[in-house]
Amino acid sequence: MRRLLALWEKELLALLRDVHGLAVLFLMPAAFIVVMSLALSDAFKGDSGRQTDFAVLSPDDAGLADRFAQGLAGEGFRAVPAPANEAAAREGVRNGKPGLALLVPSGFAPALAAPPGAGDSPELVLLADPTLPPMQLLAFRQRALGVALELRVSQMVRLAGGAPDALPDLKRAARLSVEVVGSQGARRPSSVQQNVPAWLIFGMFFVVMPISALFIVERRDGTLARLVAQRVPFSMLLLGKVAPFFAVNLAQAALMLLAGRTLVPWFGGEVLVLPARWDLLGAVTASTSLAAIGWGLLVAVSARTLEQATVIGGVGNILAAAIGGIMVPRFVMPQTMQTMAEFSPMAWALDGFHAVILRQGAGADVAAPCAKLLALAAVLLALALWVHERRRVLSSAQ
Amino acid sequence: MGMLSVEALSFRYPGRDEAVLDEMTLAIPAGKVFGLLGPNGAGKTTLIGVIAGQLRGAQGRVTLNGEPLARVRRARPQCLGIVPQEYALYPMLSCRENLRFFGGVQGLAGARLKARIEAVASFARIEGVLARRAGQLSGGLKRRLNLAIGLLTDPQVLLLDEPTAGVDPQSRAFLLDSIRSLARADRIIIYTSHYMEEVQELCERVAIIDHGRVLVSGAMSEVLRDDAGLLTLRLRAPLPPGLAAEWRSRFALHEDGAARYRLAIGGPAEIAPAIEAARAAGCEPLAIDYGRRDLEQLFMQLTDRSLRD
Repeated sequence: MRRLLALWEKELLALLRDVHGLAVLFLMPAAFIVVMSLALSDAFKGDSGRQTDFAVLSPDDAGLADRFAQGLAGEGFRAVPAPANEAAAREGVRNGKPGLALLVPSGFAPALAAPPGAGDSPELVLLADPTLPPMQLLAFRQRALGVALELRVSQMVRLAGGAPDALPDLKRAARLSVEVVGSQGARRPSSVQQNVPAWLIFGMFFVVMPISALFIVERRDGTLARLVAQRVPFSMLLLGKVAPFFAVNLAQAALMLLAGRTLVPWFGGEVLVLPARWDLLGAVTASTSLAAIGWGLLVAVSARTLEQATVIGGVGNILAAAIGGIMVPRFVMPQTMQTMAEFSPMAWALDGFHAVILRQGAGADVAAPCAKLLALAAVLLALALWVHERRRVLSSAQ
Repeated sequence: MGMLSVEALSFRYPGRDEAVLDEMTLAIPAGKVFGLLGPNGAGKTTLIGVIAGQLRGAQGRVTLNGEPLARVRRARPQCLGIVPQEYALYPMLSCRENLRFFGGVQGLAGARLKARIEAVASFARIEGVLARRAGQLSGGLKRRLNLAIGLLTDPQVLLLDEPTAGVDPQSRAFLLDSIRSLARADRIIIYTSHYMEEVQELCERVAIIDHGRVLVSGAMSEVLRDDAGLLTLRLRAPLPPGLAAEWRSRFALHEDGAARYRLAIGGPAEIAPAIEAARAAGCEPLAIDYGRRDLEQLFMQLTDRSLRD
């Protein structure tokens, strides 16, 4: 135990004096959490979260344009002043400002009241920004047709001798609320719920860098050979690296959750809601940490140079993050990619964190991700020992 | 008195046909510094690695006082200390932290560890830099720290693998004096180098190895004794061409460079006339050797190569 304590102390001192290593482990994930949580906050709200500007252009009837604008505004659509003419409206939409422009043709209102057989029905034209989601475009189209129908019905009432003001609000009849019932398993995370655990996992796996760098320097400078000559078992050397980096991963987790609670809202994002089950959060964090450390040890033992370790560790992490739903949420991936994500340890870790943070789950919900991560950690550690033994000249006699 | 014995030790790295150690046999007694001399690639570091347990798979035996060294080390892990060719320390740790760490992993703790750190720091004269990071030290101070780490457990067997490599002459002189003072009745010290002057100055026993084989081994005085009647002169200035031509025909003159000459004279009676002739030619002798060769000459005689090749 005394020898292990000496190894842990050395590892922590070396790490604490490695400014670049600390920056990679703490500043990088914190920066990603803030930036990505803010950048993707609208995207994670779905279409309802997006405010789309629109303008109504009615050259010969300003009152009609106002009625359309009032009828169309709301539920993600905001009216802006109309451009001077159709050309200006087209130019504006081409630039995305506004995203939508409704062109009301001359004589639209009288045409609505035309008797049967009076020719083609009047045609509204909607100019749309191509970047708008199709569902949002469809919603706006439905709203525009609804307003036109309301206008036509009010004209019919007027022709029938009734008072248009007495006409019931047609939109009230069309109100519909949606209530999600049953399992919340498929619920999508918010931006901060996605990004805090995602980039925390990414940061935790980056312990591969300092672990492999320290190990390769030890091998290069002869300290490893000296320790072997001092009869320090290789398994103890590896264990000497586990505890310090486990502590580093726990510190990362605490600080990244804090960033989700304080930094993100401070910059205008939403607050991360902490889980009720801290024990489960601890279990997921510990499992993720052990898998990350196992990966770091394997790279450290396998890579012959610092450059190799940087490439293998860095690229491996980025690929696992891309596949595992760290960079792009899995729910926006096509089915093939979602299947591939099942093979990324970062996806397992993210499942575990979501089970705790997003769904406030129970022990059974985190058992599978934790088991996968722990099994991976054991396999990686065994592989590291095996690679070391293969590279070292085998013992027979002395 | 203790004895480290290497018996028919062979070793080859996996995937290589050539044996790095080829049936090597050596007897290394305690009490004196044993020099292991050989050119680069001769097998010195490999032998140190096998003795230290860094390399496995060697055939043959290494025993300490008749008992397998591996068994001795299992019982007393602290009995062996190594000062490797590399600095083998942590540059981001201070000297004291390095000493504490290497002491700690060898099982030292508390007052004993503190006392040993003070003792080895004092021995290596690094007390004044204990708080400084090892990476910021000069090459000479790093070598001293390297030596101090190897002495932490006060080992019975001390392996010094080119411990003066790359240091300035002043630091080298200090290190050689320090190493000389380490010899004691029960301690076995193996000192490897490819600097023949160091080995000749420091060691009382020596083995010259090349291609994994022992070329010669024994007491330094025995190994260097020369019965071939060679006179070696180091002169203040090169011989004038006339005298050089005369000696070439009479004494089969051989010039080693830097005004250093070997003459095959007929006997001791011819030493004084030769010195007088050199003096008369304005070439004052700085060093005179007769009946004794140096390690470089010995190596050349044995291999037809220079140690520096």
